[in-house]
Amino acid sequence: MRKIIAIAWKDALINFASPSSLLFFFVLPVVFTFIIGGGFGGATASQDTRAKLLVVDQAGTASSRQLITMLGQSVAIMIEPMPLAKANSTFDANDAPALLIIPAGFNSTAMISGTAQLQLKQQPNNLDAVLIERTLNTTASQITNAIAAAQTAVAEAERIRPFTSPAERQAYFDAALKHTTQLLAQAPSRLNVTRPSQIAPDFNPAAQASAGQLITWVFIPLLGISAMFAYERRNGTLRRVLTTPASRAQLLLGTIFGQFVTALVQMGLLIGFGAVVMRLNWGQSPLALIVLLSSFALAGVSLGTMLGTFVRSEGQANGLSILLGQVMALLGGCWYPLEFFPASVKTIVHVLPTTWAMQGLSNVLQLGAGLPAIWPNAAVLLGFAAVFFVVGISRFKFE
Amino acid sequence: MQKLLSIALKDLKVAFRDRAGLILMLLAPMALIIGMGVISGRFSSSGSGAGISDIPIVIVNQDEGQLGQALVDVFYSPDLVDLIAPITTTVVETARQQVSDNTAAAAVIIPAGFTASIIPATALTATSFQTPTVISIELQTNPTRATSAEVVRSIILKFLARVETNQIGGQVTFEQLLTQKLVHPADIPALARDFGTRMDAGANASASTTITIEHMTNNDAPPAPFDVLALLAPGMALLFLMYTVTRGGAQLLAERDAGTLGRMLISPASSAQILGGKVAGIFLTALAQVVILIVVSTLLFNLRWGDWRGLILLLPAVAAAATGWGFLIASFVKTPQQAGSIGAAVMLLFGILGGSFGTNVPITGFLDTLSKITPNAWGIQAFTALGNGGNVTQIMPNLLALCAIAVVTFAVASLLFRRGNLIKK
Repeated sequence: MRKIIAIAWKDALINFASPSSLLFFFVLPVVFTFIIGGGFGGATASQDTRAKLLVVDQAGTASSRQLITMLGQSVAIMIEPMPLAKANSTFDANDAPALLIIPAGFNSTAMISGTAQLQLKQQPNNLDAVLIERTLNTTASQITNAIAAAQTAVAEAERIRPFTSPAERQAYFDAALKHTTQLLAQAPSRLNVTRPSQIAPDFNPAAQASAGQLITWVFIPLLGISAMFAYERRNGTLRRVLTTPASRAQLLLGTIFGQFVTALVQMGLLIGFGAVVMRLNWGQSPLALIVLLSSFALAGVSLGTMLGTFVRSEGQANGLSILLGQVMALLGGCWYPLEFFPASVKTIVHVLPTTWAMQGLSNVLQLGAGLPAIWPNAAVLLGFAAVFFVVGISRFKFE
Repeated sequence: MQKLLSIALKDLKVAFRDRAGLILMLLAPMALIIGMGVISGRFSSSGSGAGISDIPIVIVNQDEGQLGQALVDVFYSPDLVDLIAPITTTVVETARQQVSDNTAAAAVIIPAGFTASIIPATALTATSFQTPTVISIELQTNPTRATSAEVVRSIILKFLARVETNQIGGQVTFEQLLTQKLVHPADIPALARDFGTRMDAGANASASTTITIEHMTNNDAPPAPFDVLALLAPGMALLFLMYTVTRGGAQLLAERDAGTLGRMLISPASSAQILGGKVAGIFLTALAQVVILIVVSTLLFNLRWGDWRGLILLLPAVAAAATGWGFLIASFVKTPQQAGSIGAAVMLLFGILGGSFGTNVPITGFLDTLSKITPNAWGIQAFTALGNGGNVTQIMPNLLALCAIAVVTFAVASLLFRRGNLIKK
């Protein structure tokens, strides 16, 4: 054991020989977590992050005002009414994702006759513009629902006694629409949104960013053990160490153990940063967290060991570590939640250790899961570790 | 000039012969572009790229009336067959547990008496318009699938809006009839039954209204379908462009340390020609990298990069601005290892600040201002504008900004490098 620890310590000294190592070990992961988690103000109340919708009201009718009011009540978009020329120039300068023009003649009569039109200009390939389009569709359907209700009231009245003039009919419709709109505005909420009871009250949506960045930034250096093997093989130090009383198994275990412990320290620091600075509740189930992170570190370091038997140079190893680490983090749901993935891809990505690690961490951090809930994730990660380790050891060459 | 070009072309060849370097220059950005295409559904048979589908939800319907069943039917309707993957259970705790176990995005619990709370079981009378006790549907959401849960919430809200409108529509209909003295209060129950029967039979279909929404882009043309690759591919190209230039800077220092730069000084080339050739080599490598990525992504993914005149101006501008940064980093560090480490850090920081990692990263305020020093921010904005049908005039501010970055970084780097000299002391 002493020899294993001595080899692990030697590797740690090599790893941290340059101060720039700390850049990747702690500084950059923290900066990325902080930025992606909205630590620089992305999610604070001081800055309005709603999608900006420019609105030009050329109609000036009760219907257009109602549409603007209802759009303004949306939590997703922010309304900026302005004249057409200014709106066009603002939109053309790409300072807003969408511009809504309510043309003259937009009123309830036009809606009933099916001629009511809105013009929505959207910046292409812009997610905020897509969001605005959805919100506008929903709002438009709410307005037409109210008008449909008023139309029904008119039709029922007409069944009982026909109106004497179009003006009387219109007045009846206007009164019914006003009353409908008032009642809709006063209608009670019939939807109660809750969260699972075990979730801590200080739940923070930045948790996804924190867990994803943790996996990404720990996984890449773990794969980087392949570069260490390539470096030692190139310099002949692996052979030289074999002249010492340490066995091959001790040499390999020492290197792997060193990387494993380094990864645990790095994860501990990142979790500490998340808990202290970003107020993330990492401590709901410490045992589950330790088991999961240890399993993940073993899977990563074993994959790095296996990778080290396929590469020829440090350059290749470094490049492949970054490439594989980033792609596996992306596909494992560390950058974008897995829920966005197509169904088939969601299934396929379970061949990656990053997927199991990310799911497990999300469950611990966001759902307050304990050991019984994450043991399948830990077991699969340990399975990955065993397979990678066996392949790596069977292919390992000291020269 | 010939000497400068010879040195630059030699370095270009060396860069593209280094298989390890090619992994990060070309393979990594292509792999990430493909990865983003895969996760966004860009390559799926539907080609919608819509992202979310098959949202797993658990429904518990304890309501005895028609509205609870109507909501269940909504989730099982053909319109939502791709979006929602519902299952039903009778046990509330089972539903909640599935959310807690992260096997469901949400649990929809329709309590007993929901329908009765909206449509009273007793016959309508003139005075029964008062709203009965409100019984709410419970939606338990899974925070790890926040967007999916939001989709489910919007479906329920839309359903409730329709129910509410119908209920209020009926209320308004009879209140108006009474207010206008068109009916006697005693006739209301019979009228309400008749009204309900006709509404169930679809009598209000004629009362449907529509608002047509005409969609257009900034060119007043109909918008093209959302293409996530068009959004992310330029970002990846610029991220790994920064890798190439910082690696070029590190190699410059490696040559200085190995003494090859010093040996070149005894050739007929001046120090300015040697340094210029080296920097031109980095520039040409960067330019070749972006051109290859654009050509390959166009051929493989049919990506539209837009106006070729704009591209011809933009590509050298981004390559020059990035090269300037690579040269600047090489000028103030001491060893190739430092250049490699700091270069990689700068590449990642510029990537996240400049938008290479997508639009979901909150870059606002101070960070937005800071992002203006990155070639990524100006470059991605210009590539996006061209891809969206923009022209040279529209990207002119970006071209000028990129040129300014190149000039400033080259000027500072030249001063620092002159001091450092080409020979290791």
